[in-house]
Amino acid sequence: MSWLRISLTALAFSAAVPVYAQSVTITTAGGDYGNAMKEAMWAPAAKELGYDVREETLSDGLAALKMQVTSGAVTTDVIHLGSPEGAQAAAQSLLEPLDYKIIDPKAVPDGAKSDYCYPFDSYGTVMSWNTKTYGENPPKTWAEFWDVAKFPGRRALRANAQDSIEIALLSDGVAPADVYSVLSTPEGLDRAIKRLEAIKPNVAVWWTSGAQSAQLLKDGEADLVVTWNGRAQTVKADGGAVDYTFKGSVIGTDCLGVPKGAPNKEAAMKLIAAMTQPARVAKLTDFIAYGPVNPAGYEGGLIPEDRLKTLATAPENAGTSVFSNADWWVKNGEAAQKTFDEMMAR
Amino acid sequence: MTVLADPALAADARRERRFFLSLSLPALFIVGLAAILPILWIIRQSFLTTGGEYTVGNYEKVLSSGLTWSALVTTLELSLGTLAICILLGTPLALALASARPRVANLLMAFVMLPLWTSILVRTYGWLVLLRRDGLINATLTGSGLTAEPLPLVYNFTGTLIGMVHYMLPLFLLPVYAAMRDIDANLVRASASMGATLGQTIRTVILPLSAGGIFSGSIIVFIYTIGFFITPAVLGGGKVNPLSTRIERTLSTFQDWGSASVLGILLLVLMALVGVMFLAARRLIAGRSIGTAHA
Repeated sequence: MSWLRISLTALAFSAAVPVYAQSVTITTAGGDYGNAMKEAMWAPAAKELGYDVREETLSDGLAALKMQVTSGAVTTDVIHLGSPEGAQAAAQSLLEPLDYKIIDPKAVPDGAKSDYCYPFDSYGTVMSWNTKTYGENPPKTWAEFWDVAKFPGRRALRANAQDSIEIALLSDGVAPADVYSVLSTPEGLDRAIKRLEAIKPNVAVWWTSGAQSAQLLKDGEADLVVTWNGRAQTVKADGGAVDYTFKGSVIGTDCLGVPKGAPNKEAAMKLIAAMTQPARVAKLTDFIAYGPVNPAGYEGGLIPEDRLKTLATAPENAGTSVFSNADWWVKNGEAAQKTFDEMMAR
Repeated sequence: MTVLADPALAADARRERRFFLSLSLPALFIVGLAAILPILWIIRQSFLTTGGEYTVGNYEKVLSSGLTWSALVTTLELSLGTLAICILLGTPLALALASARPRVANLLMAFVMLPLWTSILVRTYGWLVLLRRDGLINATLTGSGLTAEPLPLVYNFTGTLIGMVHYMLPLFLLPVYAAMRDIDANLVRASASMGATLGQTIRTVILPLSAGGIFSGSIIVFIYTIGFFITPAVLGGGKVNPLSTRIERTLSTFQDWGSASVLGILLLVLMALVGVMFLAARRLIAGRSIGTAHA
């Protein structure tokens, strides 16, 4: 009788979902972040498009994507990745090129553009400091962060070339817009590394996890810490003697891509376009402090005024920022990291 | 082994041996599955490109990099440093334990063993609380005016070494203590009755007789510390980078399984070399002490 049960189930299923409903599978990171994306972005978009969207959650998106594509069993249509991972996936031909006839190419600032993974929200690598040490007069620029005579104190940086070499160049007077063109020359990378080597004697800790950077701030182990805005905000909100600035921050983004060979490619592109509408990416900040990449998300009061100052990409914060260039990192990351590690070993 | 005259008895003994061997099969199976297969897999991986073709490029890349050698030096510095401190602290402690009355010795032993039952992660973070800038030790030092500035006790080589010694000391102590406890007390008395000072007794009787234990302890310390990851990662502040953290960086930042496998094999070779060196040295010393005994 099992065939009967199966066909009954099929009948029940087709009754619940209209037969013409396009089904699309989205893979997110799950947890609070995944829920935020569902509530603010893809659930309303699915309703508008009349799609039946199914969610899968995975913590290591790139590894899963690689497995699905290389084994030829692609089950997901839209996948959520960090932009450097997205660029890496693109370099390994794991993603379909984005269809910019469907998705709005003008919604992304130039520095953040990608042909394969569409950036939609962002976080900043920022300067934070102990307010007990510096009171009302903290360093205001990366040049001042490097000025150990004027601002004595123990520094903490991330033990990774990513974001550190961008910051090093900013501290050396390179304009935010020129950072990657300077880094792309061998002299430029050397310049950044030399700058890091100059601050090295004053670096008490080279941290390796976001949680560790927050702990260093909270304990006062370091007076000046390069960290992510979410971490600094959390310590500050918990009553820590800590403040931070978005001035000169390096903005990283998360993005949406379509796996190579996805079963519903066109519908996936349409879902990406719909779920990244300004109102929806603005709504995401109701749930989590990751601001829209699309400048239109900040217009028309979509995001409450008082929340803007906690978002890396808010207009008053982003003027002096550098957009982390994922494509640059895919091309030059290994060489840059090696030079960085050699500097650390000296 | 004695030769059994009766063939029936000999057959019995053979059956018994086979039975004991069959009892060890599950353990052999698990060891083979859990240790040898992954090692074979790592060896294979070390000869593959990311595309899956055979290459020796990973070896060229890793062995020609200055970072590998500086990580190797850091690894040896940490292991030898830990070993030296363990010998300096552990040997007198073992001597005290071995010569104490049983009840006192048991109590002291419990204190030594207590940290061994605590997770390494907990202990490492515990050291962070003690050693950091506003930690217990620095607060006491600056509060009592002994030092003007907090001492840099952690997020450097010193802190890493403290954490590693704390972890390894009980493991070093056990074999040394066992060896010293087994020394015949009459030998010590004899040496004293012949007019030897305490120092002479320790040097000529106790230390030679516990050399085996000290060697075993040293091998344990060395083999363990060569692969230490958590302690340098947490207490080293990013400045102490042995081979283990190099492997982690190669995997997480570069997803370079080939090079990481080469680094893993380098660690294995290092362990094997150290093991062989220790065993050779042990045989040499044992041979010499037998030689002098006969002379």
